[in-house]
Amino acid sequence: MVKLYGFSGSTCTRLVALICKEKNIPYELTSVNLSKGEQKAASHTAIQPFGQVPYIDDDGFILYESRAIARYLSKKYPNQGTSLIPSDPKAEALFEQAASIETFNFSVIVGPIVGEKVFKPRRGLQPDEERVSELLASLQSKMDAYEVILSKQKYLAGDSVTIADLCHLPYGTAFYGLGGSFAEVFDSRPSLSRWWKDISSRPAWLAVKDGA
Amino acid sequence: MVLKIHGHAVAPLVRLVAEVCREKEVPYELVNVEVYKGEHKTPAFREFQPFGQVPYIDDDGFILYESRAICRYIAKKYASQGTPDLVPRDPKAEAIFEQAVSIETSNFYPFALGITTEKIIKKHRGLEPNEARLSDLVNNLKAKLDIYDVILGKQEYLAGGSITLADLFHLPYGTIVFEELGYDLLEDRPNVARWWKDITARPSWLAVKAKA
Repeated sequence: MVKLYGFSGSTCTRLVALICKEKNIPYELTSVNLSKGEQKAASHTAIQPFGQVPYIDDDGFILYESRAIARYLSKKYPNQGTSLIPSDPKAEALFEQAASIETFNFSVIVGPIVGEKVFKPRRGLQPDEERVSELLASLQSKMDAYEVILSKQKYLAGDSVTIADLCHLPYGTAFYGLGGSFAEVFDSRPSLSRWWKDISSRPAWLAVKDGA
Repeated sequence: MVLKIHGHAVAPLVRLVAEVCREKEVPYELVNVEVYKGEHKTPAFREFQPFGQVPYIDDDGFILYESRAICRYIAKKYASQGTPDLVPRDPKAEAIFEQAVSIETSNFYPFALGITTEKIIKKHRGLEPNEARLSDLVNNLKAKLDIYDVILGKQEYLAGGSITLADLFHLPYGTIVFEELGYDLLEDRPNVARWWKDITARPSWLAVKAKA
């Protein structure tokens, strides 16, 4: 049984839980309470030196960074559950391209927006609305590019779902849930909207979206 | 057909791809894209790279973009030549490599890129740096480098005893921040300093700095 150390509501913890559900990998969540700062405790930083969640203990093998964990679990169980990383060299390269697109053309913008509009208010802080506007403006051209890509193929790396698509779900769901001009970013683009509806309605995501 | 890298010789991520080609002894031809004239934003260019960014490669008709995806593709395609194991193959070593790649992505790159944006990119656009944001970015980077110092005090490279792409990914923006902009963040972090000195002395990187 994979031991997942994280916070039920954390975006990155839920990503790992999602992968486990997709791959039918049983896991046990041990709570690291972020609102109590448990991730900064010495017992935690001895294992995850950046004081972040999640990390896993897979039969004594410790790994952190949610995208690394996602890849490790997907490769360890290639024939179980949903296939999430291609092995053919060119398909794999296109997967890596898609994974990089998610990281550098989506999460780098959507993450901070969610930070401002969702996480800060939870800590009693005011969002920096000017920064949010700037970020939202910069997101538009990125989503135009997504629209072009997704008008030609079903998913970001080709016609099969991969980790690259799934990585959008935790922050993307929080972003979409803001409604208004945020949801409009997806809703106004038909292919992007089609893709978003598809991945956000996957049973594995529905199983963990409200808690890992 | 020789590998073609489409980009501009000064672009940091173009230089990253050139560096990995040299590590793997893969000849390449740099096809100049006039980024200062906005060639990368034209519809003709976006046919190949829909985000309007450099670089992309043309490997005998196979088009790939996102520099980290390109580096992985080259490292794997030419696994048996040049610097070995830039992407490890043993499953656990590969997982630790992915952890290290993700560390660079989340704990180094956003801050190094942010500093570069405030100090260099904005200047090119005739804008003033946001001093508050810059100060935040530098302080965050310092805190992350403190953790790097812990990790690199236990092992030679970010993913263990051998160099991998995870280390090399730091070269372009690390060079800008530590060398070109002169942020002296390594003096109090001896393990990071040792590692930085090592990776920046690699003949492939010196060759790319001289001429990509």
